[in-house]
Amino acid sequence: MTLTLVRVDDRLIHGQVVLVWLRAIDADRIVIIDDATSQDEFMRTVLTLAAPPGVPVEVHGLNSGVLRVADLAAGPERVFVLLRSPITALRMRKAGVEFEVLNVGGIGARPGRRSLYRSISASPEELAALRELERLGTGVELRVLPDDRPIPLGTIDRGA
Amino acid sequence: MTRGARRAIGMAVLVGVLLSLFPTTALAADSVPKVTVGVGQALLIALGYYLAQGPWLAGLGFFTLYRPLVAGMLVGLILGDPAKGTVVGATINLVYLGFISTGGVIPSDPALAGWVGATLAIAGRLDPASVLAPAIGIGLIGTVIFNLRMTGAVIIAHWADSFAERGSIRGVALMNWLPSQVWLFCLTFVPVFFVTLNGIQYLTDILTGLPPWVLNGLAVAGGALTAIGIAMNMRFIFRGPVIPYFFLGYLLIVASGGTLPIVVIAALGLVLAYLHVLFTGARASSPAEPVAPTEGSAGPPAAPRPAGGPKVTRGDLIRSWLLWTFFSHSTYNYERLQAVGFAHSMTPIIRRLYQTPAEISSALKRHLVFFNSDPVIGGVIHGAVIAMEEQRANGAPIDDDAINSVKTGLMGPLAGIGDTIDQGTILPILLALGIGIAGVSRDGTVTGAGNVLGPILFLMLVPLIFLSLGYVAWMQGYYRGRTFVTDILRSGVLDRVVIGASVLGNLVLGALAASFVTLFIAPTIHLEAADINIQRDILDKIMPGLLPLGLVLLTWFLLRRRVHPLALVVAYLAIAIAGSCPIFGRAPRYVTDACGSAVFQPYGACPIATASPLAPAAPTALPVASPAAFPVGSPAVSPDSSATPASVHAVAFAVAEAGRRDMTTLAGHISGVQDRSPR
Repeated sequence: MTLTLVRVDDRLIHGQVVLVWLRAIDADRIVIIDDATSQDEFMRTVLTLAAPPGVPVEVHGLNSGVLRVADLAAGPERVFVLLRSPITALRMRKAGVEFEVLNVGGIGARPGRRSLYRSISASPEELAALRELERLGTGVELRVLPDDRPIPLGTIDRGA
Repeated sequence: MTRGARRAIGMAVLVGVLLSLFPTTALAADSVPKVTVGVGQALLIALGYYLAQGPWLAGLGFFTLYRPLVAGMLVGLILGDPAKGTVVGATINLVYLGFISTGGVIPSDPALAGWVGATLAIAGRLDPASVLAPAIGIGLIGTVIFNLRMTGAVIIAHWADSFAERGSIRGVALMNWLPSQVWLFCLTFVPVFFVTLNGIQYLTDILTGLPPWVLNGLAVAGGALTAIGIAMNMRFIFRGPVIPYFFLGYLLIVASGGTLPIVVIAALGLVLAYLHVLFTGARASSPAEPVAPTEGSAGPPAAPRPAGGPKVTRGDLIRSWLLWTFFSHSTYNYERLQAVGFAHSMTPIIRRLYQTPAEISSALKRHLVFFNSDPVIGGVIHGAVIAMEEQRANGAPIDDDAINSVKTGLMGPLAGIGDTIDQGTILPILLALGIGIAGVSRDGTVTGAGNVLGPILFLMLVPLIFLSLGYVAWMQGYYRGRTFVTDILRSGVLDRVVIGASVLGNLVLGALAASFVTLFIAPTIHLEAADINIQRDILDKIMPGLLPLGLVLLTWFLLRRRVHPLALVVAYLAIAIAGSCPIFGRAPRYVTDACGSAVFQPYGACPIATASPLAPAAPTALPVASPAAFPVGSPAVSPDSSATPASVHAVAFAVAEAGRRDMTTLAGHISGVQDRSPR
């Protein structure tokens, strides 16, 4: 068994995720992996309560997250992994978590970030992480909603 | 050009080419009254389309004029036939019942479909079901407008940046409401004005120039396309223990012969929702491990406000809330989404709290970063942020990161919760109620249907509910800070409300499915004694409306299997049109009964007494319309002639078995407009 969906979305659990993606992939469980978030008591509470009833949410730091996800990947549950940043995705990959595709769904614009496509921006470090993931064999696709056509990183980033 | 724009344009071109392949017959010049949309009317319609997306209606345009239900009624008012406008609007809205826009994305444009579609139906004298397919196509084109809007507004966001750099509060505020609205106005008003002024005649000519069997197919497809809209909404709420309520709603309509008003069903739904929640408890899964109440890791305003120093007044709070309510999406753009609106809403606060240009500039820039959440419930964030800014201005050690982390942390989850409540729960229920009252005619006839009370009630409830919710969220966010969010979430109130709402939603959805999805199939077994039509005499005798129910469930199933909704639209259209094709048998016969509507009324006799010119000559079970019934032009009556209809006549969805069965198709629709339109 593998992880059903690994998605980079810096707003984590929000409208598109709850209303659209969750239904589309029929996830049984959401696992959020982000060091900063896992140390914020308030955000942990909000996130665990924000998902619809019936879908448990777990918030982990990178290390415990990697272990947990490795466990879950071996099981029958459909797991939806949410990350804040592509850098976390790269570290996950390097720690041995296998996933074929990284879905990049939303990274908000900010000073220091360059716009990639619609509501997806990336700083140089984040872009480098995405390119590295591609190099390591994980396909990076930009896709905001499940019905959109996925856009491979290579088509919009010539430097990859 | 973006991918989505390319696709939409490609689709529009394809549709245009297909339509123009059919010869535009030179209709007898006198037989069809010229389509006229006056300049003033076109102006109003175009203005309506602009206002649907503009901020001027307390930001509620998206929940009101944007919806075909309301657009239809308003177009009807403008063009002088509010009843028909309401019916058309409600019919179109059924397809868009599951429309949800999250995160700066729209799958199609219900507003364009509603405003232009209704104009097409009324001015072009077409029946609502026939106009459904073109309206959907038009809705697709609308995504181009949205893409252009979102892309162009990015530049305006950057202009706001420069004003923020200079510490100009007025500049930032101005950027949010002026240039973006000029841009939006050009994108929306101008095309719709010209299309409604000049294009309706052209579109109508194309449509009425189509061969009659294609028109028949189009109209029949209209009854089936509504199934797609309903099934899309089912995707959100038709799951788990509330599934039976859908069938209950369906059965209520069947049992009452279609006479049970939707308001009664909704009231029943409220009662059942309460009982359901009472008997089953709230969360289906146990809550997460109990977390101790937060001790204020980023300074929520539980601390008493320090004496001295600038204070935010209640007037500031309200002004700020109003600015957000109106202008949250005014400069909606791909790069920052609601950021400029957020900054605009903070201007009264910044003006109150900060004096030096450096402080002002820093505050403005702080609030121009990416932000997107549900505008109603997300107001909690604004309230909490205002409180934090106030404390910061009074010397509390709150840095930019702290404020940003509250925004970025909360905007996602509140969007999830808020979108679920607003767009996933409240709005579809209100729409369903409005549509139910508006009374989409099941077979496209306008007789007596088109109750403007439907959209009017909708228009009254929407501001009431959304403005109250928004105000409460905002104020609670300020006074109680972000712990308000966790308090509400932990209390389980939200879950109970959502589950209860899904009970109500399913009930109403089932009722809508029973009332407004129509499907007629023709296969008939011919015996000595009588003709036995599979649908009327067999299936409907077991349970009326079995086939439409089956269609809805099939659609839902296909959507679950990730079949794209557009693919389904095209498929249903193709099947309906192909099934009406004369190749499969004799050319259609148009039949009608005294009601002026479909013979096979699944739910009972014609409830409307009309002074119909139609002579119900009925020696057999299938009366035939007399040509005199249609004063303008003459429809095909004999089986072998091809028609040059002056108006659209529809036949039933014909599932053909070539060569073996009789192609006795039944009239599902009559345009009826010639008889009943005031013009």
